[in-house]
Amino acid sequence: MSLITEPRSTAMPARDGPTTSPARRLRLHVWIAIPVFTALALPLLATLLYAVSTRWGATLLPDGLTLEWLARLWSTPRFIAAFGRSLFVVAGALMLSLVLILPVAFLAHTRYPRLDRWMNVLILAPFAVPPVVSSVGLLQLYAGGPLPLVGTPWILMLTYVSIALPFMYRSLINSLRSFEANELMEAAQLLGASPLTAFFNVILPNMRLGIRIAIFLSFSFLIGEFVFANMLVGTRFETLQIYLFNVRRESGHFTSALVITLFVFILILTWLGNGRGEITAPEAGDT
Amino acid sequence: MTARRFISPAILCVVPFFVVFAAFQLAPLVFVAINAFRVGDGWGLAHFQEIIASAFYRQAMWRTLEIAIVSSLVGIVIAVLTCYSLTRLGGRWRRLLIAFTNMTSNFAGVPLAFAFIILLGANGALTLALQRIGLFEDFSLYSRSGLMIIYTWFQVPLGVLLLLPAFGALRAEWRESASLLGAGRHDYWRYIGLPVLWPSIAGTLTILLANAVGTYATVFALVGNNYNLMTIRIANLVAGDLFLQPELASALSLLLVGLLATITLVQQRLLRRSHHVTDH
Amino acid sequence: MSSAPAPLSTPDATPASPETAVAERSTVSDSLVAEPPSADSRYLRLQGLSKRFGTTSVFEGIEADIARGEFVTLLGPSGCGKSTLLRAIAGLTAVDAGHVEVDGETITHLPPQKRGIGMVFQHYALFPNMTVFDNVAFGLRMHKVPSAERQQRVDETLSLVELETHAHKHPHQLSGGQRQRVALARSLVLEPRILLMDEPLSALDARIRQHLREQLRNIQQQLGLTTLFVTHDQEEALMMSDRIFLMGKGNILQKGDGEALYTRPESQEVAGFMGAYNCLDAQQASSLLGYEADAAQVVFRPEALYLKSTTDEINDPTMTSNLGPGCGGVIVQRRLLGNVIRYRVECQGFALHVDALNRGARYLLPEGANVMVHADLEEARIL
Repeated sequence: MSLITEPRSTAMPARDGPTTSPARRLRLHVWIAIPVFTALALPLLATLLYAVSTRWGATLLPDGLTLEWLARLWSTPRFIAAFGRSLFVVAGALMLSLVLILPVAFLAHTRYPRLDRWMNVLILAPFAVPPVVSSVGLLQLYAGGPLPLVGTPWILMLTYVSIALPFMYRSLINSLRSFEANELMEAAQLLGASPLTAFFNVILPNMRLGIRIAIFLSFSFLIGEFVFANMLVGTRFETLQIYLFNVRRESGHFTSALVITLFVFILILTWLGNGRGEITAPEAGDT
Repeated sequence: MTARRFISPAILCVVPFFVVFAAFQLAPLVFVAINAFRVGDGWGLAHFQEIIASAFYRQAMWRTLEIAIVSSLVGIVIAVLTCYSLTRLGGRWRRLLIAFTNMTSNFAGVPLAFAFIILLGANGALTLALQRIGLFEDFSLYSRSGLMIIYTWFQVPLGVLLLLPAFGALRAEWRESASLLGAGRHDYWRYIGLPVLWPSIAGTLTILLANAVGTYATVFALVGNNYNLMTIRIANLVAGDLFLQPELASALSLLLVGLLATITLVQQRLLRRSHHVTDH
Repeated sequence: MSSAPAPLSTPDATPASPETAVAERSTVSDSLVAEPPSADSRYLRLQGLSKRFGTTSVFEGIEADIARGEFVTLLGPSGCGKSTLLRAIAGLTAVDAGHVEVDGETITHLPPQKRGIGMVFQHYALFPNMTVFDNVAFGLRMHKVPSAERQQRVDETLSLVELETHAHKHPHQLSGGQRQRVALARSLVLEPRILLMDEPLSALDARIRQHLREQLRNIQQQLGLTTLFVTHDQEEALMMSDRIFLMGKGNILQKGDGEALYTRPESQEVAGFMGAYNCLDAQQASSLLGYEADAAQVVFRPEALYLKSTTDEINDPTMTSNLGPGCGGVIVQRRLLGNVIRYRVECQGFALHVDALNRGARYLLPEGANVMVHADLEEARIL
């Protein structure tokens, strides 16, 4: 496709040596990168500008800048409450999924390779089945009967466990692989540790970074989840996304402030999740 | 046996996960599959016949396919070019842009729809700017072309993130040894680069298609029930304001899952054929 | 199960049984003398050990006795099952049949942590979250050794491997050789009944490997530690071992000291692995080298053959009596292997390898030279 033709047309063949081409090559990929990333940044920039502008009517640029909208947002009890609900559901879901998935990942990696093969199929399920389809089934299964969960935060938590699975499982497996958990388990057991002791003394401390990445990855994904929240619970337990949906027709500036706040929140979490400001040396170490 | 001593407690550790996963991921799907054939008190294909016979549902399917295919193809082309560009960029810029891509890939659904309203809505900043220079005169974000743009917007970061590892796996030595063997840039991409990337591109395309077919939140936040897509119809049948038809929703859901399965199968067929081609 | 001798004898543990006392470092050398040799020569017994993965057999019917304090090397090409055998002895891999016995006690069904066996892995398997000290102390902690004694024993062991100044570093701050010494210390501190080492030196570069070989052997002899060492490096095996078990395709092909394995291979596989043996059939042996034997195969080590240039004396002045009649040939290749020169000589269409000491330029024979090849008939091996 175009990938083939463009490098050829603008850059010299590699055998001609690097001296002739770097400047021209640089120009090519910069010409790709600039429009793409500008286009990706525009909606975010517009929202950010809207959130901090006094008035932005039928003009190209806003009249003035202000933090009033952000202040108003943080003094709106309904927003604070929705924020709290979202945190509650997502934190609950993450804790639950960690407790449930960590042993599976650990055993799949160290003891039962066949389980790992199964899990690699299972983690495709959340991608293969759109949330809307799952909701159709969930609504009918848990609307009444022995488990009347629809309309409660619990159904969200439990559903989120399964949609967070791919993120959690892959990050945990990667973490286990990175420090060769298998050998460490064997070494610990030869030194007299029971499998459980070895797990808590040797494996878990080395997984701190992996667990944190898993949690923050899933967090930013789950906090933005709308479909399940809307279809299974809706206004009965107004989470941040539902709240955003409900107020989207009100003041644009106010809603922009909300969107930007949410975005910055996710940003900070992602940043924390990448392990900034902490000693990662032992984990990066042994190779 | 040493192994057996650990098996029972170990198995107990994984049971809770599988219970939750079965109850909240597998059971709903099975339930949908069964319910789709439920007609009154009996069983049958009446719901499927109804869907096929209805121009309205046929339109929903057609539009779903259309927007998925167009946005995925455009998205993958941009993603491939962007990945190429990223691998050529220097370390610091690359890291920064990858981090940015990561962020935008999390920016979806309601906030995304809202950001686009600010930017490209009737009074959006970009709409006004473009109208001032005489472009985009009769553009509407809430139309088909508007949705195409927003779909493509969220496909690109996803495509980039999925493709980057494959680009990272292209070893510099391959390029070097190819050039030592007399291959130019074009030959390198033709015989080595693209054949190596092709499975990842095909796989990523499948995921983009699936992503587009299953999209609901962004469209719903933007146009409510006013654009005719399969996901919108399904949701409306189980949670709409009018009378609910969960069985019909199940049938439509099953068709949607069937569509996704077909896409996957086609991709695998394509992939297999591509291997035959590269064998020569 | 509960009566299994612990690998540790600690002051606060139950009164030490005779077995545990024997395992103690200080008494090892005495007990070597005191105990009857029969029990000592069977300190580690492998009986009919078999393992298959699915339908492929990894090893089959392995039988071996290893004496107390002996250093035995499992030598073999990669994929011959030697590492799996080691893991089976450690209890990390379950066997399908057979028994492992240590000091008269069957340990086949014990989990690894109850076997009192130490193991050093190729890639160290140090715990990256712990310091050197904590790594070495880990086993003692698991065995509930009180902290004062723990401190002392870790210090002792660390100074044994000359790492006492690195106790508070993390593994990633150490070089490969240092990491492997930590791994060794971590196993030694528990005073294991058997020490297993799975290619412990192959991840290290040549100079450090050389140094560690000697250090390892010294420590092993000093402690009288029964050691089973896995390697694919013939030189390493010859240098370090009391005995070598040569493995191939899931079997032990030959057991013996380095001398025996090197000079008296019992099969063609062993000969093939141990050196550039010249393999001849009986007819060739007779016509080329004048060796008469009623056997299918006759093998000569390359250094058991001697060259004599047609104009000159035999090229090795140390050569003694029992030389065969010799046959004429042409040197087709000459390669310098360091202190040895390997000639390839074509005699009647058959290529023979001949090694000669590299004494100096004036003894060198050029390529294309006509020579006579003689064999030291005493050194012929019939297979």
